[in-house]
Amino acid sequence: MADLLIRDLVKRFGGFTAVDGVDISVGDGEFVFLLGPSGCGKTTTLRMIAGLEMPTGGRIEIGGRNVTYLRPRYRNVGMVFQDYGLYAHMTVFGNIAYPLKVRRMSRDVIAQKVRAVAQTMRIVDVLDRMPDQLAAGQLQRVAIARMLVRDADIFLMDEPMSHLDAQLRGHMRAELRHIQKEIGTTTIFVTHDQLEAMTMADRIIVMNDGKMLQFATPLEIFERPADEFVATFVGEPQMNVMNATLRRGEGGLVADVGAFVVPLDADWTRANALGDQEGKEVRLGIRPEHIRLAAVADALRPVEVELYSFEPTGPENIFVLRTGDVELTTRNPTAETVALARDEGSPMAIGFDPRWIYLFDAQTGRTIAQAAASVSEEELAA
Amino acid sequence: MTKSHTLMVSPDAPPVQRNWWAYVIILIICVFNFLPYLYVVMTGFMDATTSNRPEPQWFFTPTLEAFRFLLFDKNLMHNFRNSLVVSLSATFLSVTLGMFCAYAIARFDFGGRDDVSFWVLTNRMMPPVAVLIPIFVTFQTLRLLDTLTGLIILYTAMQLPFVVWMLTGYFRDIPRRYEESAMVDGDTWFQAFRKVTLPLMMPSITATAIFVMILSWNEYVFALFLTSTGARTMPPAIVAYSIGANISWNVLGAAVVLITAPLILFVLIVQRQLISGLSQGTLRK
Ligand SMILES: Nc1ncnc2c1ncn2[C@@H]1O[C@H](COP(=O)(O)OP(=O)(O)O)[C@@H](O)[C@H]1O
Ligand SMILES: [Mg+2]
Repeated sequence: MADLLIRDLVKRFGGFTAVDGVDISVGDGEFVFLLGPSGCGKTTTLRMIAGLEMPTGGRIEIGGRNVTYLRPRYRNVGMVFQDYGLYAHMTVFGNIAYPLKVRRMSRDVIAQKVRAVAQTMRIVDVLDRMPDQLAAGQLQRVAIARMLVRDADIFLMDEPMSHLDAQLRGHMRAELRHIQKEIGTTTIFVTHDQLEAMTMADRIIVMNDGKMLQFATPLEIFERPADEFVATFVGEPQMNVMNATLRRGEGGLVADVGAFVVPLDADWTRANALGDQEGKEVRLGIRPEHIRLAAVADALRPVEVELYSFEPTGPENIFVLRTGDVELTTRNPTAETVALARDEGSPMAIGFDPRWIYLFDAQTGRTIAQAAASVSEEELAA
Repeated sequence: MTKSHTLMVSPDAPPVQRNWWAYVIILIICVFNFLPYLYVVMTGFMDATTSNRPEPQWFFTPTLEAFRFLLFDKNLMHNFRNSLVVSLSATFLSVTLGMFCAYAIARFDFGGRDDVSFWVLTNRMMPPVAVLIPIFVTFQTLRLLDTLTGLIILYTAMQLPFVVWMLTGYFRDIPRRYEESAMVDGDTWFQAFRKVTLPLMMPSITATAIFVMILSWNEYVFALFLTSTGARTMPPAIVAYSIGANISWNVLGAAVVLITAPLILFVLIVQRQLISGLSQGTLRK
């Protein structure tokens, strides 16, 4: 068990920069997720921590020990590969025992350790089988068992659940989170699935194009995204983001979206010093659950829109709406929206909750103003 | 056209596969292929006069005369031993060396890698006769003429490109993950190669080794020119004993039995390995 420190990590393949300045400090026992779209450099970062890829620049420390350019076997990390990396010519037992055999442990100790971990992962009854006789879910468990069996300082997992079907994945999420907390070994988990990261992580590193965009708790990532990319990458359905111009309207500053005008909260504009930014082009963001929806317009829902498509998910109803060139998605509890029209083209009315409006820089995408109702970690801690 | 298709209705039972005709064709081909060999083997058990009759002899009293002549008068066992030593050594050396070359080409990204693998391939394009004279002179200078060492070196060099070419493909089929996984688990690069990659490669390596073995065992031209008595292998020896002023058919027949029997036995024993090795990669997803 150990903490992990990464300073300014860079990896180039020829002229292509796959990882560009990753800078993190992970505490002992933390469950940290590397989240980002496919090809953003998550696997490369993980392989550099494991020693399978040598960094172009930067520094990696495990438990205070500089391991930047050490070979994998001197790092004492355990790893689960995206395609499991199990040995096809060995039984499940042989696979799990392999890292222990390499360490020349005695037969009895190996047997006992393998049994114990097989019990944890509930694969005792397949220990004598060959990997090609197992189902995906079992293979997954074997791969994780092989990682757990060692007393590694750090566990690394590269999209270990991407081959599982949705139901199994749900089970594994809870189970993995539980095991991680029980064993208490610092774990870095790579995924492109935001739901996986949001539900399991202590903290999440969001990456895109090799750059680290934000490193924070799931709640902070969700409520106070560092930029537009993070804001739209987490949350399902995505946050609605549209072009807007700040201008002075009746009753204070408003965001003009073109098809309609969004009034902004006066305290909030003052707190974020938006008053002197009149005429500025911005991107306005609001999550689907923060749009109020009704059949006819009223004071709280002044914008008239047209229903484009209706997607019931059971507990919630998702409405995709259009007005002018703006498309919006809303998400509301079924109970509240059961009476609304469901036919394409039906007229509806919406209003934005002013406490949950985000503003992003139109050029850089950086967040200019976090939603008024969002709470930062520091505020929570205080 | 389309109309008739849409009018068709499913038959009551699934169609039965009728491919007995394929077996008939295979049988005919086998008989055609096998008959000459059968006749040659039969010739080997005839006496000299029977075998030299112009018309085919299907019924005769078998004799071991030709075998006796080859094994005792001409001491063919000596040539057999030479063949065995040369082909086993050349197979072992070329497969061992070639395995490492192939691994390097398949796994490591070094400068000029593509040039190396192309050069390896082009080595096989040259007709062997083209280098016969230079090699003869080289052997003469190095005092390798009529030595087993010389033949072993030559065959190893000749088979290496083939081995490298075959095994490179097979190594590429084995995901790097296996070795990486082993290295993270605490192995050195070589341990990972030996304990993880090599066992997975074994069927392919065996298949390649069998091929190389057969090629070396049957090599004729270089053996004929580079050896005289001491290191002479089976193929040139047999030709020399059976084809003189006129051809002794029964001796030739016996020789064919003696030279192919070990190979056939060998391949029968390892044919499972051979087939699974050759189809590896295509069978796996
Ligand atoms: N060995 C390599 N050589 C060249 N480019 C590579 C190599 N490995 C990864 N890349 C590139 O680096 C980028 C990041 O890859 P990766 O870390 O695998 O992404 P992710 O795991 O986030 O999907 C990709 O564009 C990929 O093509
Ligand atoms: Mg990846």
